[in-house]
Amino acid sequence: MILKRSASYSLLIGASFFSLFPLFWTISTSIKDRVDTYSLPPKFFSFTPTLKNYTSLFALEKFWQIYSNSIIITLGSTLICLVIGSLAAYALARKPRFRGRTPLEGLMIAVRALPAIVLLLPIYKLSSFLGLYDSKIGLILIFAGFNIPFAIWLLMSFFEQIPVEIEESARVDGASTFKLFTRIILPLAAPGLVATGIFVSLLSWNEFLIPVIMAGENSKTLPVLVASFISNRTLDWGPMAAAATVALIPIVLLTVVIQRWLVAGLSSGAVKE
Amino acid sequence: MLRRKNLRPVAQLTIPTWIFLALVVLIPFFYGVYISFLNINLASFLPPNFVGFENYQTVLVASETWSTLRITLIITFIGLLTQIPLGILLALVLHENLRGTKIFRSILITPMLLTPVAVGLTYRFMFDTDLGVINWALGSIGIEKVNWLGSQTSALFAIIIVDSWQSVPFVMLLVLAALTAISPSLYEAARVDGASASQIFRRITLPLITPTLLVITMIKIMDFLKLFDTLFILTRGGPGNATTTLGLWTYKTGFVFLEFSRAAALGVIITIITLPVYFLWRRASRVVR
Repeated sequence: MILKRSASYSLLIGASFFSLFPLFWTISTSIKDRVDTYSLPPKFFSFTPTLKNYTSLFALEKFWQIYSNSIIITLGSTLICLVIGSLAAYALARKPRFRGRTPLEGLMIAVRALPAIVLLLPIYKLSSFLGLYDSKIGLILIFAGFNIPFAIWLLMSFFEQIPVEIEESARVDGASTFKLFTRIILPLAAPGLVATGIFVSLLSWNEFLIPVIMAGENSKTLPVLVASFISNRTLDWGPMAAAATVALIPIVLLTVVIQRWLVAGLSSGAVKE
Repeated sequence: MLRRKNLRPVAQLTIPTWIFLALVVLIPFFYGVYISFLNINLASFLPPNFVGFENYQTVLVASETWSTLRITLIITFIGLLTQIPLGILLALVLHENLRGTKIFRSILITPMLLTPVAVGLTYRFMFDTDLGVINWALGSIGIEKVNWLGSQTSALFAIIIVDSWQSVPFVMLLVLAALTAISPSLYEAARVDGASASQIFRRITLPLITPTLLVITMIKIMDFLKLFDTLFILTRGGPGNATTTLGLWTYKTGFVFLEFSRAAALGVIITIITLPVYFLWRRASRVVR
């Protein structure tokens, strides 16, 4: 029994090490001098931290614009997902059958199932017609479209936990559907809305393929910037690691906040209808 | 009475979602099919013509289509064989509910939340032949330097390692959920009957989590077809096309070689490949629920 337990613990500790090491390595590379970055054997702790890489990253001409693009697009698309997603999620959670439910769910699943490139090719062509290429509004709308299914799946699981009796008594008191939804359901599902919001913003924050196709110089996002380091022939790992860290840190902070709901979020859409 | 009266407003609540999904899925999909019958090249200013099935013919004859499909299948197959057993193993250990399990679970799911592009970059640094920490670690146990991203086999391994690092937690979470759903009384009864740990696993646990494993397999197959971000950063499909998957090839055809209609035809082909997986997933998913 003790043997088995220590085997389990060593497995968990080993797996934790592998899970965290790349994160640690990115952050530590980002605060290393060039010499320390390229030293062999690698320096894990014995180096003098420096902020040089960050100053050179922040000094990049477009860095702050790109950073604010990422924030604007993430927030904008998340807001749309929450507003529109909560309406649909409420309908799907409360009424087992209504016209158009099956095809709607089919479309939601198609977003999960199909490689995005299949849809992005025609979207690229369509948005150049509509003048939405390289526009933040365009990106916000496309991000929202791709993330709405996840928002709906996640919100549904929260709405389903609200007892129907509460609604029924409000209805008897004469509340309209709209009032019922905004005054009773949404406040009750507030933690769910927060968790869904954070989860969907993670998806947007991490998204790469959509902006790589749809964004030019005006609406580039952080992952595109991070990726652009690699195409330069001069591989300078310090600033690169700083860029990666800037992308990763908000995620680590946010996930600490939504720890409780993470599991539901991460498996949403996998087994639930 | 109450019910019927409220039926309509409920369906109306889904209208905005319909609009968005029509804009990103329905219209683009049919427009993509339409494009695949034209001869659009992004570098050409000539008005496109209708060419029937020509793009499909070109694409189906091209050796790249088949070689990239083969690479996709290799990655999928080896990836599944790596990720599912690892995910099961970690889920089983977490399911023991030892002290500290919650913290370990939080740590273990971290990789799947991180920006794939940043993850790819980090691994690219770690896989570096001369300066990478991986070759250094291998060197310290006497293994010679590997040019990880320089040859097909090792680059495929590197890609699978990075994808596994981000995907094993997903497998683990779903298996863990399935394990939690198994009634403890089954285990107790088996133990009373004197069953060994391996017997319990093979006779009780495994059959009961099989539907979940099927769901995971289907989702993972779809995800391998989607694989893009980390692949793009690690190798960009190289050396040459040695690690280009069908999805990345579609991207290259459309946005690097600018053969837009041909890429659209590839997109339709990918959709057709996805369909059976999709239906199996739905079926298995219903059993799980």
